[in-house]
Amino acid sequence: MSNQNEQEATTRGIGTDEWVAQHEARIAKPTTAMGKLADRWATLPAVVQWGIPLIVVLMIPFTTSSDYVLRIGVNLGLFIMLVIGLNLTVGYAGLLDLGFVAFYGFGAYFYAFVSSPQFGISWPSWISLPFVVVTTAIIGLALGTPSRRLAGDYLAIATLFFGQMFLVLAVSSDAVQFPWMDEPLDITGGPNGIPSVDQISFLGFTFNSTLSYYFLLLGIVVIGIIATRRIHNSRQGLAWRSMGEDELAAQHMTVPVVRMKLMAFTVGASIAGLAGAFFASVQMGVYPSTFKLPLLIMLYAALILGGLGSVPGLIIGAIVMVVLPEILRFPDYSNYLFLVTVLIGSIILIKSWKLVVAVFAATIAVGFVANAIFLVVGVPYLPIDEWIEGPLAPILGTWIFMPEERLLFGNIAFVLLIVVIAWMTTRSKRVRLFAMPFVLWLAIFTWEVRLLMEPSITRQLLIGALLVVLMAARPQGLFGKPRVEVL
Amino acid sequence: MNAALELTGVTKTFGGLTSLNDLNIEVPKGEILSIIGPNGAGKTTLFNIITGVYIPDQGDVKVAGKSIVGLRPDQVAGNGVARTFQNIRLFLNLTVEENLMAAMYGRTRSSLFDSVLQTPRARREDKEKRELALEVLSFFGTRLTGYRLQQPAYSLSYANRRRLEIARAMATGAHTLLLDEPAAGMNPAETQEIAQVISRLGSERDYTIVVIEHDMHVVEGISDRVIALDHGVEIAQGSFDHVATDPNVIEAYLGRGSAATK
Repeated sequence: MSNQNEQEATTRGIGTDEWVAQHEARIAKPTTAMGKLADRWATLPAVVQWGIPLIVVLMIPFTTSSDYVLRIGVNLGLFIMLVIGLNLTVGYAGLLDLGFVAFYGFGAYFYAFVSSPQFGISWPSWISLPFVVVTTAIIGLALGTPSRRLAGDYLAIATLFFGQMFLVLAVSSDAVQFPWMDEPLDITGGPNGIPSVDQISFLGFTFNSTLSYYFLLLGIVVIGIIATRRIHNSRQGLAWRSMGEDELAAQHMTVPVVRMKLMAFTVGASIAGLAGAFFASVQMGVYPSTFKLPLLIMLYAALILGGLGSVPGLIIGAIVMVVLPEILRFPDYSNYLFLVTVLIGSIILIKSWKLVVAVFAATIAVGFVANAIFLVVGVPYLPIDEWIEGPLAPILGTWIFMPEERLLFGNIAFVLLIVVIAWMTTRSKRVRLFAMPFVLWLAIFTWEVRLLMEPSITRQLLIGALLVVLMAARPQGLFGKPRVEVL
Repeated sequence: MNAALELTGVTKTFGGLTSLNDLNIEVPKGEILSIIGPNGAGKTTLFNIITGVYIPDQGDVKVAGKSIVGLRPDQVAGNGVARTFQNIRLFLNLTVEENLMAAMYGRTRSSLFDSVLQTPRARREDKEKRELALEVLSFFGTRLTGYRLQQPAYSLSYANRRRLEIARAMATGAHTLLLDEPAAGMNPAETQEIAQVISRLGSERDYTIVVIEHDMHVVEGISDRVIALDHGVEIAQGSFDHVATDPNVIEAYLGRGSAATK
């Protein structure tokens, strides 16, 4: 009897964990308004969480008649499709595939081959689209088979080569001499690509307006998101993600890693191929310049920015990478964006409200002092209405000194700014705080005087700077969970 | 009746170094066998050969009567032999539950289409996997249940990681577990707990278990039989007391002459 009691005591004793039992009581309730709101949002069912943005996106076409806005939406849809495909290979399976854009290109060209006057073929969409999916899947398999034993950097090199090879093929295959033919055959149209590609049509309905493509791609993206969410915790999704974590351990836990790698390549490739077919149809043509490295970099940036493997993250990442460059085309918008970024950036950096107010007051003072110095020295300046208009004019116009020689002063300020920031990073926190107002003023001065003069270059610069700041603030991406390497 | 695991004449050399030399081990079903030996004795190499990481130069490895030489690690695991690693190799950014569900790949059948379309098969398997995960974890008390189920593995304490790795091996559906130093780095209380868990795995679930362990209290407490290896050769086998007092074993651990002075 006593023996039995003792045994019971030990079984109860094994693995009793107080932390687990007391977990509920230990969780701190959010106290701030934002925290409560985030808490409330997290308890909403997924249908509502996704339904609200979906309704917004559905409403956009009814609130604007601008074809330009819809066109951005279509580009965004294509971009999200690509990111979803890339997420399977890179985000889940951890295969650093740098040839991904080539599948997009193959899809576009294959669609063009069977739906354009290039070969005089015009297949109906319900044949041509599956054809594109299957052929790009086969090419994905063909790339995956020799690269299946490559890991990490080596895989990246091999696939990068593949991507470049596609470009060379696309540009140079406009006069291919087959032995059994009398004249060289024009396959890809060379650098000029293939024009007048058929548009997608189903059951008598032809997608011929930007609006129709907007809804088509919205539908595809919704399906893609649902599929990704389902894959995330499915048998294949877990196999891919475990493989991405630790290939050897995954293989020891019954995951056939070679097969899963090939599957990741193939599925990713076919999604990109389908996106390519849509792309060719949207713009009624295919041109090799679309499939160059910058697109690949943008895709990776979106994926990493959003947080690898996170579904809302990749959508937000795609939005940032597609919509932001468009906004920055307009000097007015980019001006706002710059100032807001500076504001938010310094709030994040300083972390204390009182100090933020002090720093901004000092910054304003620095601006007026600089104004006075410029005036006393007698630097010739531009009148306000010659360099700025709109709602910002009365504020910025009196605060920023606009020298007549914008190039000279702007360049000096730019170099000075870089030097000061570099110097600042080596100083103590207190020194940095005191230097902050001057740096802020210098940054805004450089922006207004120099950078706004050349929006196209500034755009790139700003996106780059923004990405650096974002990744420094949140290395795991906007929505990503921090990935931890434990030593 | 076939032995759960049977090695006959297994030899493995790396370059000029003989890591395992003509090793014969038979592990009957349900036995808890401890492998001991000094560093470099070939213990982990033995595990790597059984699980298909290395192919033996000579000899044969049979699992439940079927030769598994030449099979890949995932196929070996599919045949019922799962392992843990000396330096824990969990899927750190996956949750506790996901770690177990990932390891159930080999015992489920859903295709990618099943997963995307959420067919009845995919849903049924998903439900079964979650239940099975809970069932496996219940073996470790409440340590890995509750909110911990949804915690990423990197947030676990060291001891819980060792437990989770054993649970993950169990989740593959294996009947034979190869545990590589399950008590390494644990404090005395945790060591005692893990020893009890291993004993119960044998007695309650009929697992066949091969353990590499340096903690002699654990070895003494759990082993049905002990094999001592040195330089890839079996130098002693039998009950713990028999092996622990064997002059060859003492010599291997402490050097020549130690046995005489004892």
